[in-house]
Amino acid sequence: MIAIPLAALILGFLVVYLKAPAVPSNYAGYVAIAIVAGMDAFAGAGRNWLERRFDEAIFISGFFVNMLLAALLAYLGDKLDVNLYLAVLVALGIRIFNNLGRSRALLVTMRVEARRARAGASAE
Amino acid sequence: MAILLSGSKRWVIPMTFVCLVLGSMLGIQLRTQKLRGDTLVGRETSALVGMLTRNEEQVRQQQQEIQQLRARLAQYEKEAASEKGMTKLMSQELRTARVALGVVEVRGPGIVLEISDSTMRVSDGTGGQDLYVIHDFDLLQIANELWCAGAEAVSLNGQRLITGSAIACSARLIAVNGLTIGSPFVFQAIGDRDKLVSALNIRDGVLDRLRVLQFPVKLTTQEAVTIPAISVTPKYILARPVEKELTQ
Repeated sequence: MIAIPLAALILGFLVVYLKAPAVPSNYAGYVAIAIVAGMDAFAGAGRNWLERRFDEAIFISGFFVNMLLAALLAYLGDKLDVNLYLAVLVALGIRIFNNLGRSRALLVTMRVEARRARAGASAE
Repeated sequence: MAILLSGSKRWVIPMTFVCLVLGSMLGIQLRTQKLRGDTLVGRETSALVGMLTRNEEQVRQQQQEIQQLRARLAQYEKEAASEKGMTKLMSQELRTARVALGVVEVRGPGIVLEISDSTMRVSDGTGGQDLYVIHDFDLLQIANELWCAGAEAVSLNGQRLITGSAIACSARLIAVNGLTIGSPFVFQAIGDRDKLVSALNIRDGVLDRLRVLQFPVKLTTQEAVTIPAISVTPKYILARPVEKELTQ
C-alpha cells in the first residue's frame, strides 16, 4: 500500500523535473521553504504514526496550510526586509529534527520491548 | 476500493495526493536550480546582450572613422617631418608621445597572460559562485602589477590600456575602455619579460590567489608581442596645459 504514494512522489517529481520551466528566480526561495514545510509535515506524520495517533485530516491540512504559511511568512519577510525566511527555516528545521529523533527513539523502544516480551515469554 | 475510502487504508489516497504535490515541488525546485546553473549569467541578461550588440556595432563604425582620420593624420605628419630639422625633432617627440598615449600599434618582447573563470562550480546557487569568477578588481590588480613591473604597453582582450582606461564591472561582464569583455581574459604586455613574470608570480600575489581557487592561468613569454592601438582615442576637452612663462 505504501507503494502508491511513493510512486506518486516519484511520478510527480519526474514529470515536473523533465517538463516544467524554471520558477522565476524571485519565487524560487518561496518554493524551497514550502518544500521544507512539506518535509516537516511528513516528519510529523511519521512520528504520529508511530505513536498511533496519525490522522489524515490533520496531516493534509497541516501539509498545505504550513506550506502556504511558510511561503507567506518568507514573502512577508522579504517585503519588510527582515529575514523571516530564516526564522521559518530554523523553526521547521528544529521540528523536523525533533520529530525524527522522537520517531527513532520510539522505534528503538518498540524493538526493546518486543525483545523483552519474547524473553519473558520464553522464560515462563 | 471500499477499503481505500473508509477502511483502515483510508490514508492511502490523501497520502498519494500529498506525495504528488511534494514530488512536483521538489521537481520544479531542482529543475529551477539546474536551469539556473546552466546559464550562470541568467536569463535577464538577454536584454543586455541586445544592447551590447547594438553598442558594439556603433563602436565598430566609430573605429572605422578613427582609422580613416588617423591615416590622414599620418600623412600630414609625414609631410611635416620631411620639411625641416625642427619639425623632425618634434615629430620624434610626437612619436614617443603617441606610444605613451597608445594611439599607435606597438610591438616588442613581452608576456601573454591568459586567465579564465574557475573550473570549480558551486551548486547551491546562493551566489557562492562569485568566488570563482574573474572580477574587475582581479584584472585591475593584474594590470597594476604589470605597470609596476615596468610594462611599456599593456592590452586586455585586445583593448589597449592607457592612462584613462577604466576596468569596471558591468552586469557580470567587465567593461574596459567602454567595451564589454568576458572570460577568458588575455593580457598582453611589452616590457622586461623576467620582471613581468616574476611580478605576476610573486608569492601570495594575484596569480597565486587565482591558482589556489583553480582558475586556469596561462602565462607565457614571447619574443614579439603586438599590442593594438587604443580603439577610441581619449578626448581632452577640459584639461588644458599650463603655459609657463619663460622667465629669464
